[in-house]
Amino acid sequence: MKKRILVVDDEKQIRDLYSQAFSKAGYSVTVAESAEEALEIVDRKPFWVLFLDLNLPGMNGAELCREIRNRHPMSIPIAVTGYASLFELTDCRDAGFEDYFTKPASLNDLVQAAEYAFKKLERWRKR
Amino acid sequence: MKILIAEDDLTSRMVLGAVLTKWGYEVTSTTNGDEALAVLQQGDAPQLAMLDWEMPGLDGVTLCRELRRQKSEKPLYLILLTSRADSNDIVRGLEAGADDYVAKPYNNEELQARINAGRRIIELQNQVRNREKLQGVLEMAGAVCHEINQPLQAVSGWVELLLMDMEPKDSNHEALSNIKEGMDRIGALTQKIMAISKYRTKEYMDGRRMIIDIDQSSTH
Repeated sequence: MKKRILVVDDEKQIRDLYSQAFSKAGYSVTVAESAEEALEIVDRKPFWVLFLDLNLPGMNGAELCREIRNRHPMSIPIAVTGYASLFELTDCRDAGFEDYFTKPASLNDLVQAAEYAFKKLERWRKR
Repeated sequence: MKILIAEDDLTSRMVLGAVLTKWGYEVTSTTNGDEALAVLQQGDAPQLAMLDWEMPGLDGVTLCRELRRQKSEKPLYLILLTSRADSNDIVRGLEAGADDYVAKPYNNEELQARINAGRRIIELQNQVRNREKLQGVLEMAGAVCHEINQPLQAVSGWVELLLMDMEPKDSNHEALSNIKEGMDRIGALTQKIMAISKYRTKEYMDGRRMIIDIDQSSTH
């Protein structure tokens, strides 16, 4: 069964882009265009690896991250943001993000981050 | 630091100029108020001026008033040189816009002390201005970079996807690689701009305009 990734970004071009990149790498991708939509999705079934834009309409990415970590403490949220100077790395770590990329991010880097995240999950489950 | 002198008496002008030069200041000497006004209106004008009160034409007090009326953006510290020690005159001078006065004949220690006080004020004003400029730059930089990074991610990413499926010997590979490289450079630039922490400028083209020196200003 394919490993599942959730991508949250309010821009369709970006959602489609990341969707294609992760699909090519063999993952099954679900997209959401807002934090609220994302929460509805993870409430129906959990996602363990998530790529979240920080600058979302309504609830922002950092709050979304906190919400997701509250509901599923084992999940691995990764921030991808164009607002590098406003959301510093420490703020992201505080919010519960596992990692942090600034746009434009190399797709290769994002795919590798996903791979690494799934490897971690496997290792945690084996204990 | 640059200091402007406006003094019509030759001897006084020479002596003051020599003393200031000895103390390490870069001195611009003028012989009357109109000349001084012209110099102080230039872009790289001195920020501290010592103006004789009594001068033919535009006198020191009127000059102060005119300079303050013009409300230059750059901080300007004005010291009146005067043989008038009368309190009324002192008040007149200060109200006209002078920051301080030195009574003639002046002793060098007092002169130096008052100039130092002026330097402190100028330094403080420059710091505040720079901080405000930097704040403006940062606010603009943050907004612009965020807006640019989004479409940049789209373009850069889609080109990356195309390249993934392409053999290097494909006829379009070179073109796409060049596009990707251009995008990467823009990306590096936005990173630098977002890391701006200082306000450093450099000359642009004809040298008449100043622009932010991104490399010097960025902590990247």
